[in-house]
Amino acid sequence: MAAGSGWRRRWQQFYEGLLERRLPGQKTVRLDSRKLFIFPTVAGFAFGLVLLLLWLLAINYQNNLIFAFTFLLSSVFVVTILHTFANLSGVEVSVLDAQPAFAGDRAQVTVRLAQQGRRFRDSIRLYYPGARPVMVAMADTLTADVRLYVPARRRGWLDPGRLVIDSTYPLGLLRVWTHVKPTLQGLVYPKPLAASPPQQSRPALGEGVLEVAGGSDDFSGLGSYRPGESLRHIAWKQYARGQGMLTKHYTDAVDNRVWLDWDAFPGMDREARLSRLCGWLLVLSRNDTSYGLKLPGIQVQPSRGEGHRDRILRHLALFELTPAP
Amino acid sequence: MTIQPAWQIPRSGLLWLLIAFVGVVIPHVGHLPPWITAGAIVAIGWRIQVYRGCWGFPGIWIKVALLALCIGGLLLSYGLLVGLEPMVALLVSGYSLKLLEMHRPRDALVLVYLGYFVAITLCLFDQSIAVTSYILVGLLLVTAGLAGLHQTAETTKHSAFVELGSLKTAAAILLQAIPLMLVLFLVMPRFAPLWSVPSQRDSATTGVSDSMSPGDFTRLGRSAATAFRVTFAGPMPPKRQLYWRGLVLSDFDGRAWRQAVPWGYAGNLVQWYGQPDGSWRGDIPRSAASLDYSVILEPTQNQWLYALTPSQPLTEGVGLARDHSLVNRVPVTGKREYRARFMPDSPRDLDALPSIRHFVETRLPPEFNPETRRLAAEWRAEEPDNEALMRRLMALFRREFTYTLEPPALGRHSVDEFLWQSKRGFCEHFASSFVFFMRAAGIPARVVVGYQGGEYNPEQDYLTVRQYDAHAWAEVWLEGQGWVEFDPTAAVAPERIEFGMAETLAGEEEFLADNPFSLHRFRDIPWLNRLRLQLDYLDYLWTRWVLRYDGVQEGLLSRMLGAVDPVRIGLFILIAGFLALLPVLLLLWWRRAGNPRSPLEQLYLEFCRKLEKAGLGRNTGEGPRDFAARASARFPADREQIENFSRFFERVRYAGSVDNLEEDRLRQQRRRLKRFRPGAVRLLTSKSA
Repeated sequence: MAAGSGWRRRWQQFYEGLLERRLPGQKTVRLDSRKLFIFPTVAGFAFGLVLLLLWLLAINYQNNLIFAFTFLLSSVFVVTILHTFANLSGVEVSVLDAQPAFAGDRAQVTVRLAQQGRRFRDSIRLYYPGARPVMVAMADTLTADVRLYVPARRRGWLDPGRLVIDSTYPLGLLRVWTHVKPTLQGLVYPKPLAASPPQQSRPALGEGVLEVAGGSDDFSGLGSYRPGESLRHIAWKQYARGQGMLTKHYTDAVDNRVWLDWDAFPGMDREARLSRLCGWLLVLSRNDTSYGLKLPGIQVQPSRGEGHRDRILRHLALFELTPAP
Repeated sequence: MTIQPAWQIPRSGLLWLLIAFVGVVIPHVGHLPPWITAGAIVAIGWRIQVYRGCWGFPGIWIKVALLALCIGGLLLSYGLLVGLEPMVALLVSGYSLKLLEMHRPRDALVLVYLGYFVAITLCLFDQSIAVTSYILVGLLLVTAGLAGLHQTAETTKHSAFVELGSLKTAAAILLQAIPLMLVLFLVMPRFAPLWSVPSQRDSATTGVSDSMSPGDFTRLGRSAATAFRVTFAGPMPPKRQLYWRGLVLSDFDGRAWRQAVPWGYAGNLVQWYGQPDGSWRGDIPRSAASLDYSVILEPTQNQWLYALTPSQPLTEGVGLARDHSLVNRVPVTGKREYRARFMPDSPRDLDALPSIRHFVETRLPPEFNPETRRLAAEWRAEEPDNEALMRRLMALFRREFTYTLEPPALGRHSVDEFLWQSKRGFCEHFASSFVFFMRAAGIPARVVVGYQGGEYNPEQDYLTVRQYDAHAWAEVWLEGQGWVEFDPTAAVAPERIEFGMAETLAGEEEFLADNPFSLHRFRDIPWLNRLRLQLDYLDYLWTRWVLRYDGVQEGLLSRMLGAVDPVRIGLFILIAGFLALLPVLLLLWWRRAGNPRSPLEQLYLEFCRKLEKAGLGRNTGEGPRDFAARASARFPADREQIENFSRFFERVRYAGSVDNLEEDRLRQQRRRLKRFRPGAVRLLTSKSA
């Protein structure tokens, strides 16, 4: 068993080396004979067995017609090699875009298959390891875009592994395949974890402090009662004086400029802190709060909006990682 | 236990598999027991109901019961499952049962491969051109089923019932495979059988049988089937020499003639070709006028072959028997080609017959035909010379006898009744009574059965011998001459020998009674006769170059390659195989290079090209509408067409993609554009203009 697995490992290494030499990461990969592999499928080997049996039948019955039909089916196999190969040959593969995703989710990667002429190609299967395969055909089109959902495992740049493209068209007797590495730039944000918002040092009232209506801390005035308001806030004294139904209004004094602070989670390791910062950020951006980021060596002034959020997520994703692949 | 998601066989693949099933099984119906045919119908009906969603697949117990029924039925029908028919019956039953079990891709694959087998085994029963073409269609359907399993259906065009894409794919692949197949067929070596296989059990043995009794040959006169074909290495001998010896019958039981036990010979009974000489073969001296010929014999299921007398075999596995007939080592179950050397006028068995042979060749059953025996003794006393005696009998035949395919029935003393009462008979009557008479007169004589004559195809230089050419004649042993052939029929009906059966008996009702619409009936109509000869030639070519190709392969290859050895064959397969695949490679490459423009754009460019040829080029940046207006002004006669086309282009171009509905419109426009001749002079309109 040990020897077997040793061989397997060695084969794996050889195969990966071969792929690395022949199919380095490229923006657009054009599939040609150097990059495509072809081998009979199980059905193809069974077809070979059928041919063998027919051949024996022909020999034993000395029947030249059975010889002819056996040779015809053998030739079908050979012609199918060319057809199967041609089904992938000449296809250009590139990644149109990769949507950012949170670690643990699936990232949507759009792969574009393109060809020079309008050749009919059928039943092309694409998949990244661990992702659901997608079948695509190119009939009378120059391009076909395929959306694949790949597992985003770790924070940083998305690395879905090699894209497998294969096809057994037209007869399923042979499989032509390749493992390409079209370059893609997809971000994987930290896996968001729910974090109880940590104690914030409340700065003095003034700039950046909002009074949030509907709070419960400070009394700010009276207003006329609207149905649905809590009975606890009805100003019963004024009501008893016959001034009508009034409600007591309070405000919470909240510092709206929140800092997503590295130091807010003491004692945790880097990834745990980033995950919590990320989860916190999602809550804040949903509440349309203005927030900034404080990481060791990085500070982003508080602001709001989607652009701001994505900028901060990018910082979280790439924190202490090499920049771009 | 885990529940696996049900695999759905692709719809197009399934339909083709069902069509292929029907197409492939139907021609087998003739040699299958009826219950298998019924079972196949039930299976396909059931599968269609499953497909329509009316029924479910059979459960495990039903399947087990069906399997048991099939195996029981096969054992009942065939006993032990050996032989060709049981094999095909087994294949068809498995094929039918598999229809009802398609849960995984593997099941569909098994169905496809069984389909290939069932289709191809058909040529074990019939090898005609028609059946071969039918098998090709069967292979096409099965391959379409296989292709249908691997196609993404949405991309191909649908017709009302089935999806034609997989059929087209299969047809393209099969057509492209044919050149390579021819290369392989040409050079792949044919090996000798690895083990002996059982042949067809109850194939009707047509042709001459190993016994002869009155009426046997009239039966053969009813059939125009080919018995064998002959090509001569030199000029064909005259028709009266063409006596194709099959069997020699020396044993008479009062009714039928049979082969006698070969008693009394010294040495081996059969001299096989290629075996060291030194036994009795020296009997036949070589004559200067020898002639080589080659025979392709239709399957007879018997061991004897047909040859001119005397002949030496020149083919492995063929031997010369003691009675100068040729025999094959094994029964002839397929078409058999053999060569032989005809040595006319060579005497046979010149030395006096051994006494046992003399006894055998003159023996008669004592209790039959007393009248003939009496008269023979009488004539013997009057004519001491053997040849004079024979001439006298022949003269009697010529004077008083009639040759007919419809002789009256004969009773116990068949020779007596024929010679002295009915005097109407067919070749077997003449041969039988002649030999009987000679033996009664003490002359060694025996019956020879085989064929006489044949139809010569002058354009293609070969001879076709048919079942109705079957013939019986006699041979007599004479002092100083050895065995000499005599044909008493020739005395009665010389035209039978000179012109053949067809001319002699064309008017008789019995002739070709089995083939009422045979082209042989219309020999008088020249073009029909020519058509018949050409069809026969086609069949001859088919037999010689395809069915019996192993017979000519070696000679052909050594002429083509210089010598036949594995290296040359390998090289030939590589080079010729590459050439055979080149068109496919070019086609695939060309399609890949393809036209990057859409069909619509190509169409519009063609439109512009035609206008430019007529002298009106499109300016750079000129829109279709402006260009059309300019063109209409220039060619007012074509105004309607120009505007029509331009409108179509604009509408499709700016309204989105060309969908299926527009596909038809596109084709229609393409047709119209073909007829578009801007500025052409029209005979009718130009006058009025």
